[in-house]
Formats: sequence, C-alpha cells, structure tokens
Amino acid sequence: MLWTDKYRPQTMDEVLGNKKAVEEIDEWVESWEHGEPRKCLLLIGPPGTGKTTLAHLISVFFSDHIELNASDKRSFDIIMNTVGEASASTSLFGKGRKLIILDEVDGLHGNEDRGGIRAINKIIKEGHHPMIMMANDPYSKRITSLKSKCQVIKIRKVHTNSIVALLKRICIKEGVDFEEHILRTLAKRSRGDLRSAINDLQVIAQGKDKITSDDLEVISQKDDINNIFDSVRTVLKSKNPRHIRDALRLEAQPGFILEQITENIPREYEKPEEIEKAYDAVAEADVYLGRAFHTRHYGYWKYTYDLMGVGVAMAKDETYKKFSRYASSTFYSKLSKNRKKRDLRDRVATKMGEKMHTSRAVAIEQFPYFEIMFQPEDLARDLADYFELDDAEVKQFRKRKIKKRKTKKAPKAKMKGTKTSSKPKAEPKSQKTTSKKVSKGYKDVETETITKDSKPKNKAGEMKKKKNKTEKKVNNSSKAASKDNGNSEKSQSKDNGKQVSLFSFK
Amino acid sequence: MNGPWVEKYRPQNLDEVVGQDHIIQRLKQYVNEENMPNLMFTGPAGVGKTTTAIALAKAMLGEYWKQNFLELNASDARGIDTVRKDIKSFCRLKAVGSPFRIIFLDEVDNMTKDAQHALRREMEMYTKTSSFILSCNYSSKIIDPIQSRCAIFRFAPIKGHQIVGRLEQIAKKEGVKYTPGSLESIVYFAEGDMRRAVNILQSTASMGEEITEENVHDVVSKAKPKDVRRIVNLALDGDFMGARDLLREVMVVQGTSGEDMVTQIYQEVSKMAMDDLISSKEYVDLVEHIGEYDFRIREGANPRIQLEALLTKFLPKEKAD
Repeated sequence: MLWTDKYRPQTMDEVLGNKKAVEEIDEWVESWEHGEPRKCLLLIGPPGTGKTTLAHLISVFFSDHIELNASDKRSFDIIMNTVGEASASTSLFGKGRKLIILDEVDGLHGNEDRGGIRAINKIIKEGHHPMIMMANDPYSKRITSLKSKCQVIKIRKVHTNSIVALLKRICIKEGVDFEEHILRTLAKRSRGDLRSAINDLQVIAQGKDKITSDDLEVISQKDDINNIFDSVRTVLKSKNPRHIRDALRLEAQPGFILEQITENIPREYEKPEEIEKAYDAVAEADVYLGRAFHTRHYGYWKYTYDLMGVGVAMAKDETYKKFSRYASSTFYSKLSKNRKKRDLRDRVATKMGEKMHTSRAVAIEQFPYFEIMFQPEDLARDLADYFELDDAEVKQFRKRKIKKRKTKKAPKAKMKGTKTSSKPKAEPKSQKTTSKKVSKGYKDVETETITKDSKPKNKAGEMKKKKNKTEKKVNNSSKAASKDNGNSEKSQSKDNGKQVSLFSFK
Repeated sequence: MNGPWVEKYRPQNLDEVVGQDHIIQRLKQYVNEENMPNLMFTGPAGVGKTTTAIALAKAMLGEYWKQNFLELNASDARGIDTVRKDIKSFCRLKAVGSPFRIIFLDEVDNMTKDAQHALRREMEMYTKTSSFILSCNYSSKIIDPIQSRCAIFRFAPIKGHQIVGRLEQIAKKEGVKYTPGSLESIVYFAEGDMRRAVNILQSTASMGEEITEENVHDVVSKAKPKDVRRIVNLALDGDFMGARDLLREVMVVQGTSGEDMVTQIYQEVSKMAMDDLISSKEYVDLVEHIGEYDFRIREGANPRIQLEALLTKFLPKEKAD
C-alpha cells in the first residue's frame, strides 16, 4: 500500500498547514449543508499539497460525489450527463446534493475537452451544484475566466518543519529508526511537496528497521516540475539567498532562466534604481554566460546563477507586497509574430546581397535608401527586375504594387532597337505583345535597356521567346498578370517556356 | 535594366578603384608577376574591399575569371561546414585557363574562432592550386595564424574630395543636376563610405528634382532610423517597459545586431548633446555607460540583455547625484 494513501488525513483537522484555506472550505461546506448555494471552489496550489485530499475530505458531507480528472474524457457531454444525473437525484436541500470534483482544470484543452470549459461555465452559472475544482498553475490562461467566477483558495506549499514532523510520525508508526537530518533532507528536497516526500521515504524505509544517509543516494532530486515562474517569483520576492539558490535548481538552460528573470524585473520592481541595479546583475550574469560559452569553461555558470538570482533579489529595497502578473519574455512572441516579416526581409536581403556582393546584414543597412528609390515607378520596376524581386518581395520597400509597364508598339521596339524611349502612353491596345518601360526621369537609362533587349530580336523566330523573357522579368506584364499572384519567377518562366514551344510547333 | 548605381558604377578594373592608390599599385605588381600570396583586405565598410578583390581577380585570371573565382560571404554561409564544403569542391578542380584559382571570403571577422581555425587548415591544404583573399572590418578579430599567412592591406576611408569626384562623374552620366555644395553634403553624411554616398545620391535623384543640400538632408533624415531616437526618449522619460518593447521590436523586425544598435544609440545620444537636449554632464555619464555596454556586448551571450541594461541607465532617478 502506498504510504501516501495509508497516511492520508482522515479528518480536516489532520490536514497539514494551510489553516486558513481549511477554514474557508469548512465554511463553504456548512453553507451548502444549510441549503445556501455558494460559488464553486477553485483550489490552486502546487502538486502534493493536499488539494485532492481536501476535496475528498469534504465529499463525505454530501450525499455523493463524482470525480473527473485529467484521465477522463471531459467532453461537454460527459460533464453534462454527469451533472444531469447529479441534478436528477438531487433534493433541493443540503445533504441531497452531489459534489462535483473536477481535478486539474488547468489541463483542460484540445479537441477531447472541447466544450469542457463551456460545461463548467454552465454549472457555475446555474449555481445549483456544489463543485470544487483544482489547478496547479495559477497563471494558466485556461483558468483566467474561471478565477473571476469562483471562490479561489490558494493552497500553499507545506512548510519543511511540518513535513519533517509528519515523516517522523510515519517512521515511528512503521517502526523505522531514523536520524532527523535525513528526514530534514527529504523534506527540503521535496520543496513543499508532501506527497513526493512521503513517497521518497517509502522508497528508502519500507521493510527496514533503520535508515541512514547512504539511503539518500538511492533517490534522486525531485524532478523539475516546478514552474519556472515559481523560481522567478522567488528571485523577485525573496531576499533569502538559500531559498533563491534552491529555486534556481532547474533543468532549464541558464540562458533561458536569465531571459525569464530579466523579463519580469520591471514587472515586479517599480523604482528605477532597483530596475537599474537588477539589470546590472543580469547583464553581468550574461557576461559570464558569454565567457562560459566562448571559453567552454562552464564553471563560470555558477556566477551567472548567483548574479541573476541573489544579485537580482538584492536589488530591491524591500519586498513588494503586491501581486505581479509575470510573463514569458515578449521577445519570443515577437519573434514568432514577426516571422513573416523577417522571412521577407531575409529573402530580399539575400537576393540583393548576391547582386551587390554583400552579406544580408550589409544589404539590410541599405534598405532605407532603397525605400526611397522604390517610390518612382520606373526606377522601382528597374530595381525589382535587377534584383529579381517578385511582387511580394517588393512590398519590403513600397506598399503599392508597381504599375504595369505601359504597352508600346511592338515592331518599333523590336525591329529598330529604337532609342527614343519615352513614348507617350497612348498606344493601340491590340499590340499588347510587347512590354516596355516608359520613363520620364530616366531617359538615358531607358534607352540603354531597350537597346539591349531589342538587339537580338532581329530574328523573327527569336521574337516571341524574347518577348516572353521580357515579360517574365517585368513580372506584371499583361499576360502574366493573371498568375502573378504569389507565383515565383521561376514558375512563370516555365510557363512561358511552354507557351513558346507550343507556338513554334504551330 | 540598370540596377542600382552602386552596381552600375562599380569600378570594373583596378585603375577605376578610387582612393586606394598605393594598394592598387602593389596589387598591379602581383598581376604583372602573375602570382600573389594570400591577401587580407581590412577596412571600414564601403571603401572598396570587395570591388578591389573582384577587379584583381579579373586582372589576374583573365578571360576565364568567372570560372576560377569563388566569392563567399562568411556571415551568410551557414556555419563553417558550408564554407568548407564550398571551398573543397571548388579547390579540388584545377584552374582552367588561368594560372590558379582565387577564393574571396568576405566578412571573415564574423566567423567564430573555431571556424577561423578550420579555415586556416583549408588555406594550407590548397595553397598550390588556389589563393585566398579575405576581407574584414577589423583585423583584430582574425586569429593570428590566419593573419600571419596573409599579406595585409589596410583600406583607408575614402577622402572627401575623391568621393565628390566620383559622384560628379555619376551625376554627369546620369544627367542629374546638382547645386554646388550638395555633393559635399552627401560626402559629409557618407563618412567615407562610397556605397552609402552613391545610395544617397541615387535616392536623392529618385525624388525627381535637382540635388540640393536640402534634398540630401531630407533623404538622410528619411533613411535614418527614427526608432532609436524614440527608444532613447522613452527611456529618458522613465517609460522603461515602452523603451524595452520598442528595442525588441526593432531588433526583431529589422534584425539589427547588438553592436549596430549600441552604435546607433551612441550616435543618437551624441546628437542630442550637440543639440543641447541633454546636459554635458548627462552626456558624459551616458557615454561612459554606452562604452561599457558596447564592450560587454562583445563579451556576453545575449546582446539584447546588455542593451536593455543600458536603457536602465537612461531612466530618471529620484536620488539626484
């Protein structure tokens, strides 16, 4: 038998710690017993602190209870059926009611639980059913709406001394000889998790008549189920170096912990002097992180930990007595939110870097100038062609699409390699075949382009091919227009190639 | 199709390169001897390192220079492995049509020390068939073994009148009118960087009018990142969260590196001091901090945390000192 079950409290009085919470719950139960409906209870606290135990203890005051936890499929139907059952078998007063126990509500999610929250909300709204819910993570988004509608009771970690006392009692009952420091170590390691402390004790003590320090080797440090924000909170709220160091014994990478502590400094500290001091500490911590990385001498990490832990903690004049909402670093959310923008930027920078013989970074430095240069249509078109940017990529520099090239008389452009570039726009529309730039400010430029493009077009057979090529480059000429949305140039050129071959077969 | 003027008017041979006369002299000698050691070009941005390397390759390798010339950018090529693979497959083949092959590796100072050591081995392995040209902004960031294997050429910032001369040529060919003094103002903003100078010239010209000092100012202030000024001002006003958020936004969206960011903050602060927006004492204090964090960015792991820490120095403090 598990000792956690064997030594589970049998009455409310036996519950360790959390006296206030116990009183509140007692009062809640009494209310129901007198037939006065109350808001649903929401017990929030870390694992192993007795939430489920409390729920079970009060269930005896009701006619019956139904319990759902994470392993149940909590679809809307299941909850509603249960509730339906419960209400059907309910007399209107007191003892007749069934207690609904809903464990791990912060774990409700996904398709399987679709509607779960909805069902819970319905019960809350109706207010006929006594319901008690449990959650670990007070900051879980999933329970924010619940919190405002329920009576929230915080269940705190059990104090080390209380745990030691309980472990002692168990040892005596089990007839195991012990040294107190061993129990104390067990209790400390559990970090307030009573259940894990008892489990550990059972591992090393069951079936023995004595436990020694050597036995401690068998069990490893408690797995890191601590939310990182608990550690961040300890750093920002506590001034006790030992607590802080303990809190930072996390599995996570120091760089990540540093990021999270840094993020929340200004969310907790209010005075600029404190923010500055705390930031001095994290900046210094980061330097050691860098040194460890550069030299591969990871012994430097210990300074990182002390600086971002104790260093940050000591930056405050005194602990703020307020509730601060901590958050994960906004940097990561910004990264994902701006992924498209960044991808675009990098794609454009890569293309430009290739043409300009620079790295992406240097290309990006030049972006502001190109934003200006991309304003006039002709220059924009020319640059887009040159860098082989498609319509989407041009958006890096200008909001509007580049206007299509004005159509021109085909024969002139092709046959004569005309040097009179900027012709008036009014040209017969039947001659859509040739696409050509019309320029005002860039006469010389234009002339050259057209000459180049048109020279090889003397051969009649080449004409269409060349035409298509030009179109491809323009990328928004009349023919390509229908498919230029999102089409890469490559695919267009393929299409054009097919067209060409079809033509020539005919 | 013309492309940007920076490309259209990039010098095509060694003689056209502006402002690096003594370097060009020496390189021409290599061309005459048809032999060259490994070279390292160091110097600030926009002074002609890449241009010179390409021009040298053309002169050295002749007609088939394109086949025998490999250009790689060390900061973009993902990791040393890509670089090595590219170099390996390029060097394995013998030069055809020219005496040897040339590998131009740009921005080598962005490579990690490990990568540089690996590069050194590659350089040794292929000395018989290939020559390397490395370029970097700071030779101090290059490991000694590589430096000792190269003839080092220091490119100086291009002198003002030389940039003006080049801009005049371009303006003439493009038929762009300019008022006296306007090109000088471009040079002032370009700070010896030819690429920036030409880009300012073309941006100003693209607005369709004559190039005047006023237009140049317009373009430069348009192209200047305003976010940095806003970040600094938010911090000075005591809105740390706001400043921090904007800083992150800029670094994410524009991909500004920590080193660039700290430089921009410095420029902004010194401009504010010149405009009497902050007192000289504040200025000196801030510069001391900026310098410190500039240094730390190079030492630390996460430049953003250093920059955020720097911003706390801007916050108004109650205890007056």
